[in-house]
Amino acid sequence: MPFEQPPSPVAPPSAPPRPWAVPLSGGLGIAGLLAFAASDPEQATLAVALAVAATVATLVLSVDAFSRARPQPAPTALIEAAAQDDAKTSSWEAALEALPDPVLLIAATEPDDVAGRRIVFANAAAREFLRVPREGALLVTALRDPEVLEIVDEALFGRVPACAAYETGGAQDRFWRAWSRPLPSPSGFLALLSLRDETDARRMERMRADFLANASHELRTPLASLAGFIDTLKGHAKNDAEARAKFLDIMATQADRMRRLIADLLSLSRIELNEHVPPSGEADVSLIVTDVVDALTPLAHEKGVLLQAHMPPAGAATVCGDRDQIVQVVQNLVDNALKYSPEGSAVEIEVAPGLTVDQAVLPTSTRAARMSLLTPDRADDVRYVLIRVRDQGPGVARQFLPRLAERFYRVEGQKSGERLGTGLGLAIVKHIANRHRGGLSVESAPGEGSVFSVYLPRSEPRTRAVEPGRLLVIEGQAANQASGDQRSLAS
Amino acid sequence: MSDTTYSGPQPLGQTQVQTDFRANPHTVRAYGDELNQLTAEVTRLGGMVESQVADAVSSVARRDVALARAVIEGDVRIDDLQREIERRAIRLIALRQPVAADLRRTVAALKLSLSLERTGDMAKGIAKRALVLAEGEPMLPLTRSIERMGKLVLSRLKDVLDAYTTANLDQAMNVWAHDDDVDEHYDALFRELLTYMMGDPRTINGCAHLLFMAKNLERIGDHATNLAEIIHYELTGEDVLADRPRRLAQDAQS
Repeated sequence: MPFEQPPSPVAPPSAPPRPWAVPLSGGLGIAGLLAFAASDPEQATLAVALAVAATVATLVLSVDAFSRARPQPAPTALIEAAAQDDAKTSSWEAALEALPDPVLLIAATEPDDVAGRRIVFANAAAREFLRVPREGALLVTALRDPEVLEIVDEALFGRVPACAAYETGGAQDRFWRAWSRPLPSPSGFLALLSLRDETDARRMERMRADFLANASHELRTPLASLAGFIDTLKGHAKNDAEARAKFLDIMATQADRMRRLIADLLSLSRIELNEHVPPSGEADVSLIVTDVVDALTPLAHEKGVLLQAHMPPAGAATVCGDRDQIVQVVQNLVDNALKYSPEGSAVEIEVAPGLTVDQAVLPTSTRAARMSLLTPDRADDVRYVLIRVRDQGPGVARQFLPRLAERFYRVEGQKSGERLGTGLGLAIVKHIANRHRGGLSVESAPGEGSVFSVYLPRSEPRTRAVEPGRLLVIEGQAANQASGDQRSLAS
Repeated sequence: MSDTTYSGPQPLGQTQVQTDFRANPHTVRAYGDELNQLTAEVTRLGGMVESQVADAVSSVARRDVALARAVIEGDVRIDDLQREIERRAIRLIALRQPVAADLRRTVAALKLSLSLERTGDMAKGIAKRALVLAEGEPMLPLTRSIERMGKLVLSRLKDVLDAYTTANLDQAMNVWAHDDDVDEHYDALFRELLTYMMGDPRTINGCAHLLFMAKNLERIGDHATNLAEIIHYELTGEDVLADRPRRLAQDAQS
């Protein structure tokens, strides 16, 4: 837009290109006439008369020509210059606006006036992240972290650049780094504040540390047992066929456990890495539950446990989410329930669409203790699809409930049967639910069985049509105006 | 940034009506400025308290002695700012004699700053105990429980302060109505600590400190609901009369 300036309606008229052409041609004509008069005395009087007339005409014409060609102090030139200036600033502004990182310009009048620090410009990314209008909001309403406020002050009044790191809380932690720079300003103080999302880098760092710690800790036990059996097989059990077969069986089990452990660890790391990026696809929970039940029925038969699923027809319970990950959620929950179910009992799977958060966390029984292991940030217009898995196993005492989703946590004195879990199942469920902006809660009491509930945001047709974040970027001005009115402290 | 969406609280439709409270309708411009400044100072105090609580909890989790000391020393600034807010509010009442919404806003700023200052003291208390804990053996699973509870309490505090800056009554009432998560965590942690102490008497010293930390966190959660009640008063002029929904739900069950 800034480059498509319409032609000015008061553009200067096309002035004679060379004003000196008039007197020059006039002068040449006069000289010619005078030369003619000199060469031909008979016609001299006439020629001189013509020359005099030509001189007068030339003078008149050239005065006119020069007066028209004189640089005009007309307003048109000034307007053009101003338009060029505008085009320049608005293209700078458009560049700031288009930056992917949040950028804020902050103006202030005096150091001890907190309410005087205002955002005079917030680019699209800043408006989306901080939920502030394009201009006019108070700085404290947007950012109240003391370190960030401090570096802004340093840039505003100390005139020195500064840098700080801060975290935004909520269900998904985000790490930010903030830079402040002093800017020249003719009146008052002006500073630039730029934020950068460093969540990816920090998560990567943490993932590496966690993975190493977990892997070294949890893999050591099966590895030690493998090494022990290998030593025995190489040594005195070398020629004992019966012992060899038995040992190889144990080794195969241990190797299998290590394999599952590594697969789970990798999968958990991947999920954690992307936890702050919401999934974009859609998945039908009813179909997923049907698939998982089909896949696990043989195992349930083997254990003599009945699998029952109650769910709405396909298409009624669709969530925004990654299908593979939701399969993992249902599979882990049902797998867990089967693991702890005694023979002859039943595992119930229930799917309920369209619940509010309060309905989703409503306790199902008065005898069991309820604990929410993950609560999403509150958003009132979101409806949730609930997946509930109930078993008739031994149940868990109240004091162990909050730690259930911790990695490698095992309730003391509980045996999960011959098929030992990796201790990561519920941690994976929790992190997947968090990535989907959902929640996880458990109800249990000793002897009462356990109920695990996962609720994920239902996909709404309207949210798919227009994504609010994008809208803000496209029609910057109009959208900002609307959100600008919602800020309160601006006077 | 552009390919991820912010997941925080969404602005609500009703905010429009409520924000009119804080527009500046005063003929004397300085009066409106003073009111705005009061609100801004309270918000700043809120930010300071928030980061004190976060730092205190992470000093426990990471056994970070330096961070714990910084929290203990940082409490003075919170006290100073609280006194400053009090002074400003009293000055405003004396000079401008606010009525109706303005009076409520001033009184709310006073009450909020007091409640926030106490929250800051609790963060300081947690940091002091973190220093003691750092001298003993690490108790990893227990400090992890404290960290989990701390995160929960922090999200309450963040929500209620967000509600204050945006004058969002619904959001404040959400915080007020959902305190039960924090209580549940406190109960569970209490039992867990008892089990530990009974199992191994050598852990009693550390566990006792953790118990007080958990209690402090639980009280910070209570302060968050208290802040929500003050915001409710500021915006509507009425006290929150109803019982917490949790209690009602339990009554209905029994």
